[in-house]
Amino acid sequence: MMPIWTKSGEKRAVTLLKVQDCHVLRYVSKEESGGKTAKLLVGGKNVSPFSKPESAHEIFKEAGVPRKQKVSTFNVTDDAIIKPGTPLYAAHFRPGQFVDVTAKTVGKGFQGVMKRWGFKGQPASHGQTKTHRRPGAISTNKAAKVYRGKKMPGKMGNIYRTSFGLKVWRINTKHDIIYVNGSVPGHTNCLVKVRDSKLPTYKDCNKNPPFPTFFADGDEELPEDLFDEEIFQFTDPSVTFT
Amino acid sequence: RVSSDGKPPKFQPPPKPVIIDRKTQKEDKRFLSPEFIPPRGRTDPLKYFIERKDMIQRRKVFNIPEFYVGHVLAVTTAEPHASTKSQRFVGICIQRGGKGLGATFVLRNVIEDQGVEICYELYSPRIQAIEVLKLEKRLDENLMYLRDALPEYSTFDVNMRPVPRMAHEEIPVNKLQVRMKPKPWSKRWERPKYNIKGIKFELPEHKMKAAQKWSQPWLEFDMLREYDTSKIEAKIRKELSEELEK
Repeated sequence: MMPIWTKSGEKRAVTLLKVQDCHVLRYVSKEESGGKTAKLLVGGKNVSPFSKPESAHEIFKEAGVPRKQKVSTFNVTDDAIIKPGTPLYAAHFRPGQFVDVTAKTVGKGFQGVMKRWGFKGQPASHGQTKTHRRPGAISTNKAAKVYRGKKMPGKMGNIYRTSFGLKVWRINTKHDIIYVNGSVPGHTNCLVKVRDSKLPTYKDCNKNPPFPTFFADGDEELPEDLFDEEIFQFTDPSVTFT
Repeated sequence: RVSSDGKPPKFQPPPKPVIIDRKTQKEDKRFLSPEFIPPRGRTDPLKYFIERKDMIQRRKVFNIPEFYVGHVLAVTTAEPHASTKSQRFVGICIQRGGKGLGATFVLRNVIEDQGVEICYELYSPRIQAIEVLKLEKRLDENLMYLRDALPEYSTFDVNMRPVPRMAHEEIPVNKLQVRMKPKPWSKRWERPKYNIKGIKFELPEHKMKAAQKWSQPWLEFDMLREYDTSKIEAKIRKELSEELEK
Protein backbone atom coordinates (compact mmCIF):
# COMPACT_ATOMS: atom_id res chain seq x y z
CA MET A 1 0.00 0.00 0.00
CA MET A 2 1.19 3.46 -0.83
CA PRO A 3 0.04 7.07 -0.32
CA ILE A 4 -1.07 9.22 -3.26
CA TRP A 5 -2.15 12.84 -3.24
CA THR A 6 -4.98 14.57 -5.11
CA LYS A 7 -4.58 17.92 -6.88
CA SER A 8 -6.11 19.68 -3.84
CA GLY A 9 -3.42 18.24 -1.56
CA GLU A 10 -5.48 15.50 0.17
CA LYS A 11 -3.82 12.19 0.87
CA ARG A 12 -5.36 8.83 -0.11
CA ALA A 13 -4.09 5.31 0.54
CA VAL A 14 -3.76 3.06 -2.47
CA THR A 15 -3.14 -0.70 -2.94
CA LEU A 16 -0.91 -1.91 -5.76
CA LEU A 17 -2.15 -4.96 -7.70
CA LYS A 18 0.11 -6.63 -10.25
CA VAL A 19 -1.35 -8.42 -13.28
CA GLN A 20 0.98 -11.39 -13.62
CA ASP A 21 0.67 -13.73 -16.66
CA CYS A 22 -3.10 -13.65 -17.02
CA HIS A 23 -4.54 -15.69 -19.88
CA VAL A 24 -8.07 -16.59 -20.97
CA LEU A 25 -8.36 -20.38 -20.62
CA ARG A 26 -11.79 -21.45 -21.84
CA TYR A 27 -15.10 -20.17 -23.11
CA VAL A 28 -18.20 -21.72 -21.55
CA SER A 29 -21.44 -20.89 -23.38
CA LYS A 30 -24.70 -19.93 -21.66
CA GLU A 31 -26.37 -23.32 -22.29
CA GLU A 32 -23.33 -25.30 -21.16
CA SER A 33 -22.95 -23.48 -17.87
CA GLY A 34 -26.71 -23.23 -17.19
CA GLY A 35 -26.49 -19.60 -16.05
CA LYS A 36 -27.85 -16.36 -17.47
CA THR A 37 -24.66 -15.29 -19.29
CA ALA A 38 -21.68 -16.94 -20.92
CA LYS A 39 -18.56 -17.48 -18.80
CA LEU A 40 -14.87 -17.09 -19.45
CA LEU A 41 -12.32 -19.00 -17.36
CA VAL A 42 -9.24 -16.90 -16.69
CA GLY A 43 -6.00 -18.10 -15.09
CA GLY A 44 -3.29 -16.04 -13.39
CA LYS A 45 0.31 -16.46 -12.24
CA ASN A 46 2.40 -19.21 -13.82
CA VAL A 47 3.33 -22.11 -11.58
CA SER A 48 5.33 -25.33 -11.98
CA PRO A 49 3.37 -28.12 -13.80
CA PHE A 50 5.04 -30.91 -11.82
CA SER A 51 3.00 -30.68 -8.62
CA LYS A 52 -0.31 -31.70 -10.18
CA PRO A 53 -1.34 -34.82 -12.21
CA GLU A 54 -1.60 -34.74 -16.01
CA SER A 55 -5.39 -34.80 -15.86
CA ALA A 56 -5.37 -31.35 -14.24
CA HIS A 57 -3.35 -29.90 -17.15
CA GLU A 58 -6.02 -30.41 -19.83
CA ILE A 59 -7.49 -26.91 -19.70
CA PHE A 60 -4.04 -25.35 -19.91
CA LYS A 61 -2.93 -27.55 -22.79
CA GLU A 62 -6.02 -26.67 -24.82
CA ALA A 63 -5.31 -22.97 -24.38
CA GLY A 64 -1.58 -23.46 -24.97
CA VAL A 65 -0.56 -21.84 -21.73
CA PRO A 66 1.61 -22.94 -18.73
CA ARG A 67 -0.16 -24.13 -15.60
CA LYS A 68 -1.73 -21.30 -13.60
CA GLN A 69 -2.04 -21.06 -9.84
CA LYS A 70 -5.56 -19.66 -9.78
CA VAL A 71 -8.45 -20.10 -12.20
CA SER A 72 -11.50 -17.85 -11.81
CA THR A 73 -14.76 -17.41 -13.74
CA PHE A 74 -16.12 -14.16 -15.11
CA ASN A 75 -19.68 -13.71 -16.34
CA VAL A 76 -19.45 -12.10 -19.79
CA THR A 77 -22.00 -10.83 -22.31
CA ASP A 78 -21.94 -12.42 -25.77
CA ASP A 79 -20.23 -9.45 -27.47
CA ALA A 80 -17.30 -9.54 -25.03
CA ILE A 81 -16.13 -13.11 -25.68
CA ILE A 82 -12.37 -13.47 -26.06
CA LYS A 83 -10.53 -16.33 -27.74
CA PRO A 84 -8.87 -18.72 -25.24
CA GLY A 85 -5.14 -18.16 -25.02
CA THR A 86 -5.17 -14.35 -25.27
CA PRO A 87 -3.12 -12.64 -22.58
CA LEU A 88 -4.84 -10.04 -20.39
CA TYR A 89 -3.00 -6.90 -19.24
CA ALA A 90 -3.44 -4.17 -16.65
CA ALA A 91 -4.42 -1.78 -19.47
CA HIS A 92 -7.77 -3.64 -19.56
CA PHE A 93 -8.74 -1.17 -16.80
CA ARG A 94 -8.58 2.61 -17.06
CA PRO A 95 -8.07 5.26 -14.36
CA GLY A 96 -11.36 6.65 -13.08
CA GLN A 97 -13.07 3.27 -13.34
CA PHE A 98 -14.60 1.51 -10.33
CA VAL A 99 -13.69 -2.03 -9.49
CA ASP A 100 -14.58 -4.89 -7.10
CA VAL A 101 -11.69 -6.89 -5.65
CA THR A 102 -12.19 -10.43 -4.28
CA ALA A 103 -9.61 -12.42 -2.36
CA LYS A 104 -9.22 -14.88 0.49
CA THR A 105 -8.90 -12.96 3.77
CA VAL A 106 -5.89 -13.38 6.06
CA GLY A 107 -6.31 -16.63 7.98
CA LYS A 108 -6.39 -16.16 11.74
CA GLY A 109 -6.77 -19.81 12.75
CA PHE A 110 -9.07 -20.97 15.53
CA GLN A 111 -10.30 -17.84 17.27
CA GLY A 112 -12.52 -17.15 20.23
CA VAL A 113 -15.85 -15.44 20.16
CA MET A 114 -14.56 -11.97 21.08
CA LYS A 115 -12.19 -11.68 18.14
CA ARG A 116 -14.30 -13.63 15.66
CA TRP A 117 -17.70 -12.05 16.27
CA GLY A 118 -16.91 -9.00 18.38
CA PHE A 119 -18.67 -10.13 21.56
CA LYS A 120 -18.02 -7.98 24.63
CA GLY A 121 -16.92 -10.76 27.01
CA GLN A 122 -17.09 -10.32 30.77
CA PRO A 123 -15.40 -7.86 33.20
CA ALA A 124 -11.84 -8.53 34.31
CA SER A 125 -12.53 -8.28 38.03
CA HIS A 126 -15.40 -7.87 40.54
CA GLY A 127 -15.72 -11.57 41.29
CA GLN A 128 -15.72 -13.12 37.80
CA THR A 129 -14.67 -16.77 38.22
CA LYS A 130 -12.69 -17.99 35.22
CA THR A 131 -14.97 -16.13 32.80
CA HIS A 132 -13.50 -13.22 30.87
CA ARG A 133 -13.71 -14.02 27.13
CA ARG A 134 -16.53 -16.59 27.05
CA PRO A 135 -19.74 -16.25 25.00
CA GLY A 136 -22.05 -16.48 28.01
CA ALA A 137 -25.57 -17.72 27.24
CA ILE A 138 -26.07 -19.41 23.85
CA SER A 139 -29.87 -19.69 23.74
CA THR A 140 -33.06 -19.06 25.74
CA ASN A 141 -35.04 -21.45 27.94
CA LYS A 142 -38.15 -21.51 25.73
CA ALA A 143 -36.23 -22.38 22.55
CA ALA A 144 -34.86 -25.56 24.19
CA LYS A 145 -32.27 -25.84 21.42
CA VAL A 146 -29.37 -23.91 19.93
CA TYR A 147 -30.24 -22.28 16.60
CA ARG A 148 -28.25 -23.12 13.47
CA GLY A 149 -25.66 -20.52 12.68
CA LYS A 150 -25.12 -19.55 16.33
CA LYS A 151 -21.99 -17.41 16.58
CA MET A 152 -19.39 -19.55 18.34
CA PRO A 153 -15.58 -19.93 18.34
CA GLY A 154 -14.09 -21.48 15.21
CA LYS A 155 -11.67 -21.00 12.31
CA MET A 156 -11.54 -17.35 11.33
CA GLY A 157 -10.38 -15.89 8.05
CA ASN A 158 -9.17 -17.65 4.90
CA ILE A 159 -12.55 -17.14 3.19
CA TYR A 160 -13.37 -15.20 0.05
CA ARG A 161 -14.49 -11.63 0.63
CA THR A 162 -14.99 -8.68 -1.74
CA SER A 163 -14.31 -4.95 -1.42
CA PHE A 164 -16.82 -3.12 -3.62
CA GLY A 165 -16.57 0.14 -5.49
CA LEU A 166 -12.80 0.80 -5.37
CA LYS A 167 -11.60 3.57 -7.66
CA VAL A 168 -8.70 2.92 -10.02
CA TRP A 169 -6.29 5.86 -9.65
CA ARG A 170 -3.39 4.91 -11.87
CA ILE A 171 -2.19 2.17 -14.22
CA ASN A 172 1.42 1.29 -15.01
CA THR A 173 1.43 -0.41 -18.43
CA LYS A 174 5.15 -1.30 -18.35
CA HIS A 175 4.97 -3.40 -15.16
CA ASP A 176 1.18 -4.15 -15.38
CA ILE A 177 0.25 -2.57 -12.04
CA ILE A 178 -3.18 -1.27 -11.07
CA TYR A 179 -3.40 1.33 -8.26
CA VAL A 180 -6.71 0.74 -6.48
CA ASN A 181 -8.18 3.03 -3.78
CA GLY A 182 -8.26 1.87 -0.17
CA SER A 183 -7.48 -1.60 1.13
CA VAL A 184 -8.11 -5.02 -0.34
CA PRO A 185 -8.76 -8.34 1.44
CA GLY A 186 -5.85 -10.78 1.67
CA HIS A 187 -2.21 -10.76 2.76
CA THR A 188 0.69 -9.22 0.78
CA ASN A 189 1.43 -11.05 -2.49
CA CYS A 190 -1.83 -13.00 -2.40
CA LEU A 191 -3.91 -13.78 -5.53
CA VAL A 192 -6.83 -11.51 -6.16
CA LYS A 193 -9.75 -11.31 -8.61
CA VAL A 194 -10.49 -7.86 -10.06
CA ARG A 195 -13.86 -7.21 -11.73
CA ASP A 196 -15.78 -4.18 -13.01
CA SER A 197 -17.95 -2.92 -10.18
CA LYS A 198 -21.50 -4.26 -9.97
CA LEU A 199 -22.72 -1.44 -7.68
CA PRO A 200 -25.66 0.51 -9.19
CA THR A 201 -24.00 3.93 -8.53
CA TYR A 202 -21.08 3.03 -10.78
CA LYS A 203 -23.12 1.43 -13.58
CA ASP A 204 -22.39 4.22 -16.08
CA CYS A 205 -18.91 5.07 -14.89
CA ASN A 206 -16.98 3.39 -17.68
CA LYS A 207 -16.86 6.00 -20.41
CA ASN A 208 -14.76 4.25 -23.03
CA PRO A 209 -13.22 1.12 -21.66
CA PRO A 210 -11.08 -1.07 -23.94
CA PHE A 211 -13.74 -3.51 -25.20
CA PRO A 212 -13.55 -6.56 -25.04
CA THR A 213 -10.02 -6.13 -23.66
CA PHE A 214 -6.70 -4.40 -24.32
CA PHE A 215 -4.76 -6.29 -26.99
CA ALA A 216 -0.99 -5.81 -26.82
CA ASP A 217 -0.40 -6.54 -30.50
CA GLY A 218 -2.91 -3.89 -31.61
CA ASP A 219 -2.09 -0.46 -33.00
CA GLU A 220 -2.76 1.43 -29.77
CA GLU A 221 0.43 2.65 -28.09
CA LEU A 222 -0.19 3.59 -24.48
CA PRO A 223 2.19 5.74 -22.37
CA GLU A 224 3.97 4.00 -19.50
CA ASP A 225 1.74 5.57 -16.81
CA LEU A 226 -1.96 6.38 -17.07
CA PHE A 227 -3.20 8.79 -14.39
CA ASP A 228 -6.66 9.80 -13.21
CA GLU A 229 -7.58 13.50 -13.71
CA GLU A 230 -7.63 14.29 -9.98
CA ILE A 231 -4.32 12.69 -9.07
CA PHE A 232 -1.29 14.87 -8.35
CA GLN A 233 1.54 13.83 -10.65
CA PHE A 234 5.05 14.28 -9.32
CA THR A 235 6.17 16.02 -12.50
CA ASP A 236 4.00 19.02 -11.54
CA PRO A 237 5.25 21.73 -9.13
CA SER A 238 3.94 21.92 -5.55
CA VAL A 239 0.26 22.62 -4.90
CA THR A 240 -0.72 26.24 -4.20
CA PHE A 241 -4.11 27.59 -3.18
CA THR A 242 -5.39 30.86 -4.61
CA ARG B 1 67.77 -27.59 2.48
CA VAL B 2 71.47 -27.23 2.13
CA SER B 3 73.05 -24.44 4.16
CA SER B 4 76.28 -22.71 3.26
CA ASP B 5 78.23 -23.50 6.47
CA GLY B 6 76.90 -26.92 7.43
CA LYS B 7 75.15 -25.36 10.45
CA PRO B 8 71.32 -25.56 10.66
CA PRO B 9 69.67 -22.50 8.98
CA LYS B 10 68.78 -19.66 11.28
CA PHE B 11 65.09 -19.74 12.20
CA GLN B 12 63.23 -17.18 10.17
CA PRO B 13 59.91 -16.35 11.81
CA PRO B 14 57.02 -16.30 9.29
CA PRO B 15 55.95 -12.81 8.13
CA LYS B 16 53.21 -11.28 10.22
CA PRO B 17 49.81 -11.23 8.41
CA VAL B 18 48.78 -7.79 7.25
CA ILE B 19 45.07 -7.32 8.04
CA ILE B 20 43.45 -5.10 5.41
CA ASP B 21 40.05 -4.12 6.76
CA ARG B 22 38.15 -3.94 3.48
CA LYS B 23 34.80 -3.16 5.11
CA THR B 24 35.75 0.14 6.71
CA GLN B 25 37.67 1.25 3.63
CA LYS B 26 34.83 0.78 1.16
CA GLU B 27 32.00 2.30 3.23
CA ASP B 28 30.28 5.08 1.37
CA LYS B 29 29.93 8.11 3.58
CA ARG B 30 27.68 10.12 1.27
CA PHE B 31 24.22 10.81 2.67
CA LEU B 32 21.38 8.48 1.70
CA SER B 33 17.98 9.60 3.00
CA PRO B 34 16.71 6.88 5.38
CA GLU B 35 13.31 6.54 3.67
CA PHE B 36 14.97 4.98 0.59
CA ILE B 37 16.14 1.92 2.49
CA PRO B 38 13.35 -0.70 2.25
CA PRO B 39 12.28 -2.33 5.55
CA ARG B 40 12.85 -6.04 6.08
CA GLY B 41 9.82 -8.04 4.98
CA ARG B 42 8.25 -10.27 2.37
CA THR B 43 7.07 -7.54 0.00
CA ASP B 44 8.02 -7.76 -3.65
CA PRO B 45 11.06 -5.51 -4.35
CA LEU B 46 9.20 -4.30 -7.43
CA LYS B 47 6.93 -2.27 -5.12
CA TYR B 48 9.91 -0.41 -3.63
CA PHE B 49 11.36 0.12 -7.09
CA ILE B 50 8.13 1.74 -8.31
CA GLU B 51 7.94 3.88 -5.15
CA ARG B 52 11.54 5.00 -5.58
CA LYS B 53 10.82 6.10 -9.15
CA ASP B 54 8.06 8.36 -7.82
CA MET B 55 10.29 9.69 -5.03
CA ILE B 56 13.08 10.49 -7.49
CA GLN B 57 10.58 12.22 -9.76
CA ARG B 58 9.45 14.43 -6.88
CA ARG B 59 13.04 15.19 -5.90
CA LYS B 60 13.80 16.35 -9.42
CA VAL B 61 11.04 18.95 -9.24
CA PHE B 62 11.35 19.92 -5.57
CA ASN B 63 14.61 20.08 -3.66
CA ILE B 64 14.58 18.05 -0.42
CA PRO B 65 17.81 19.00 1.39
CA GLU B 66 19.96 16.65 3.37
CA PHE B 67 19.00 16.83 7.04
CA TYR B 68 19.25 14.77 10.19
CA VAL B 69 17.48 14.67 13.53
CA GLY B 70 18.59 17.74 15.49
CA HIS B 71 18.65 20.17 12.56
CA VAL B 72 16.58 23.32 12.75
CA LEU B 73 14.33 23.55 9.67
CA ALA B 74 11.84 26.06 8.27
CA VAL B 75 8.99 24.52 6.26
CA THR B 76 6.53 26.52 4.09
CA THR B 77 3.31 24.68 3.29
CA ALA B 78 0.26 25.67 1.26
CA GLU B 79 -2.65 26.34 3.60
CA PRO B 80 -6.14 26.94 2.11
CA HIS B 81 -7.46 28.77 5.21
CA ALA B 82 -4.49 31.10 5.84
CA SER B 83 -4.71 34.71 4.62
CA THR B 84 -1.52 34.49 2.53
CA LYS B 85 -2.38 30.89 1.53
CA SER B 86 0.96 29.64 2.88
CA GLN B 87 2.29 28.92 6.38
CA ARG B 88 5.90 28.93 7.60
CA PHE B 89 6.94 26.87 10.62
CA VAL B 90 10.41 26.77 12.19
CA GLY B 91 11.44 23.96 14.51
CA ILE B 92 13.97 21.34 15.47
CA CYS B 93 13.58 17.95 13.81
CA ILE B 94 13.00 15.44 16.59
CA GLN B 95 12.11 12.34 14.59
CA ARG B 96 12.30 10.98 11.06
CA GLY B 97 9.92 8.12 10.43
CA GLY B 98 8.23 6.14 7.69
CA LYS B 99 9.65 4.54 4.57
CA GLY B 100 9.05 5.27 0.92
CA LEU B 101 6.57 7.95 -0.13
CA GLY B 102 5.00 8.14 3.32
CA ALA B 103 8.21 9.34 5.00
CA THR B 104 7.56 11.94 7.72
CA PHE B 105 9.54 14.23 9.99
CA VAL B 106 8.38 15.95 13.18
CA LEU B 107 9.38 19.56 13.91
CA ARG B 108 9.13 20.95 17.43
CA ASN B 109 9.16 24.53 18.68
CA VAL B 110 7.84 26.46 21.67
CA ILE B 111 5.73 29.43 20.58
CA GLU B 112 4.46 31.81 23.28
CA ASP B 113 5.11 29.25 26.03
CA GLN B 114 3.17 26.54 24.19
CA GLY B 115 5.07 23.55 22.82
CA VAL B 116 4.01 22.80 19.24
CA GLU B 117 4.97 19.74 17.20
CA ILE B 118 4.03 19.33 13.55
CA CYS B 119 4.50 16.10 11.59
CA TYR B 120 5.18 16.82 7.91
CA GLU B 121 5.24 14.35 5.04
CA LEU B 122 8.42 14.72 2.98
CA TYR B 123 6.73 13.98 -0.35
CA SER B 124 3.46 15.80 0.22
CA PRO B 125 2.70 18.21 -2.66
CA ARG B 126 1.52 20.87 -0.18
CA ILE B 127 5.08 21.53 1.00
CA GLN B 128 6.45 24.46 -0.95
CA ALA B 129 9.91 24.90 0.58
CA ILE B 130 12.20 23.25 3.13
CA GLU B 131 15.18 25.32 4.34
CA VAL B 132 17.83 24.09 6.71
CA LEU B 133 18.56 26.90 9.17
CA LYS B 134 21.03 25.22 11.49
CA LEU B 135 23.04 22.10 10.75
CA GLU B 136 23.72 20.18 13.89
CA LYS B 137 23.51 16.50 14.71
CA ARG B 138 22.74 15.42 18.25
CA LEU B 139 23.85 12.44 20.29
CA ASP B 140 20.57 10.54 19.70
CA GLU B 141 18.48 9.72 16.65
CA ASN B 142 15.20 10.41 18.39
CA LEU B 143 14.75 13.60 20.39
CA MET B 144 11.25 12.87 21.76
CA TYR B 145 12.64 13.53 25.26
CA LEU B 146 12.64 17.25 24.48
CA ARG B 147 8.95 17.14 25.47
CA ASP B 148 10.03 16.49 29.07
CA ALA B 149 13.06 18.76 28.98
CA LEU B 150 13.04 22.38 30.08
CA PRO B 151 11.33 24.54 27.41
CA GLU B 152 14.49 26.56 26.74
CA TYR B 153 15.95 23.58 24.86
CA SER B 154 13.05 23.52 22.36
CA THR B 155 12.65 27.25 21.71
CA PHE B 156 13.99 28.54 18.44
CA ASP B 157 13.55 32.01 17.05
CA VAL B 158 10.96 32.02 14.27
CA ASN B 159 12.87 34.66 12.33
CA MET B 160 16.30 33.18 12.78
CA ARG B 161 18.78 33.54 9.94
CA PRO B 162 20.24 30.43 8.32
CA VAL B 163 23.63 29.65 9.81
CA PRO B 164 26.14 29.47 6.94
CA ARG B 165 27.84 26.14 6.46
CA MET B 166 31.43 25.88 5.27
CA ALA B 167 31.70 24.05 1.99
CA HIS B 168 31.20 20.33 2.58
CA GLU B 169 32.59 20.02 6.06
CA GLU B 170 31.48 17.23 8.31
CA ILE B 171 28.20 17.94 10.06
CA PRO B 172 29.03 18.97 13.66
CA VAL B 173 27.66 16.84 16.51
CA ASN B 174 26.32 18.87 19.41
CA LYS B 175 27.17 16.99 22.59
CA LEU B 176 24.63 18.97 24.57
CA GLN B 177 23.24 17.24 27.66
CA VAL B 178 19.72 18.43 28.21
CA ARG B 179 18.27 19.12 31.66
CA MET B 180 14.84 17.69 32.35
CA LYS B 181 11.73 18.87 34.13
CA PRO B 182 10.97 16.99 37.37
CA LYS B 183 9.47 13.53 36.96
CA PRO B 184 6.88 12.16 35.91
CA TRP B 185 7.95 12.15 32.25
CA SER B 186 5.96 10.93 29.26
CA LYS B 187 8.34 7.95 28.94
CA ARG B 188 10.92 6.57 31.37
CA TRP B 189 13.88 7.95 29.48
CA GLU B 190 16.43 6.60 31.96
CA ARG B 191 15.67 3.00 30.90
CA PRO B 192 18.29 1.32 28.68
CA LYS B 193 15.76 0.51 25.93
CA TYR B 194 15.75 4.14 24.78
CA ASN B 195 19.55 4.32 24.98
CA ILE B 196 19.58 8.10 25.37
CA LYS B 197 22.91 9.85 25.69
CA GLY B 198 21.74 13.42 25.42
CA ILE B 199 20.12 13.83 28.85
CA LYS B 200 21.88 14.95 32.01
CA PHE B 201 20.14 12.64 34.47
CA GLU B 202 19.96 14.25 37.89
CA LEU B 203 18.29 11.19 39.41
CA PRO B 204 19.70 9.50 42.53
CA GLU B 205 22.12 6.60 41.97
CA HIS B 206 19.77 3.90 43.21
CA LYS B 207 17.13 4.92 40.64
CA MET B 208 19.60 4.80 37.78
CA LYS B 209 20.74 1.37 38.98
CA ALA B 210 17.12 0.17 39.26
CA ALA B 211 16.48 1.28 35.68
CA GLN B 212 19.26 -1.06 34.50
CA LYS B 213 17.05 -4.00 35.58
CA TRP B 214 15.20 -3.59 32.26
CA SER B 215 18.35 -3.86 30.17
CA GLN B 216 18.42 -6.59 27.53
CA PRO B 217 22.14 -7.13 26.86
CA TRP B 218 21.47 -10.13 24.58
CA LEU B 219 19.69 -7.99 21.98
CA GLU B 220 22.85 -6.81 20.22
CA PHE B 221 23.93 -10.43 19.70
CA ASP B 222 20.57 -11.61 18.35
CA MET B 223 21.36 -12.81 14.83
CA LEU B 224 17.74 -12.92 13.69
CA ARG B 225 17.50 -9.16 14.21
CA GLU B 226 20.50 -8.41 12.02
CA TYR B 227 19.64 -6.47 8.89
CA ASP B 228 22.68 -5.70 6.77
CA THR B 229 21.75 -2.88 4.45
CA SER B 230 25.19 -2.25 2.90
CA LYS B 231 24.52 -4.01 -0.42
CA ILE B 232 20.97 -2.68 -0.73
CA GLU B 233 22.24 0.82 0.05
CA ALA B 234 24.99 0.60 -2.55
CA LYS B 235 22.45 -0.43 -5.19
CA ILE B 236 20.06 2.36 -4.25
CA ARG B 237 22.83 4.97 -4.22
CA LYS B 238 23.84 3.93 -7.72
CA GLU B 239 20.26 4.07 -8.93
CA LEU B 240 19.72 7.50 -7.33
CA SER B 241 22.86 9.03 -8.80
CA GLU B 242 22.02 7.68 -12.27
CA GLU B 243 18.43 8.96 -12.19
CA LEU B 244 19.19 12.38 -10.75
CA GLU B 245 21.78 13.06 -13.42
CA LYS B 246 19.28 12.53 -16.22
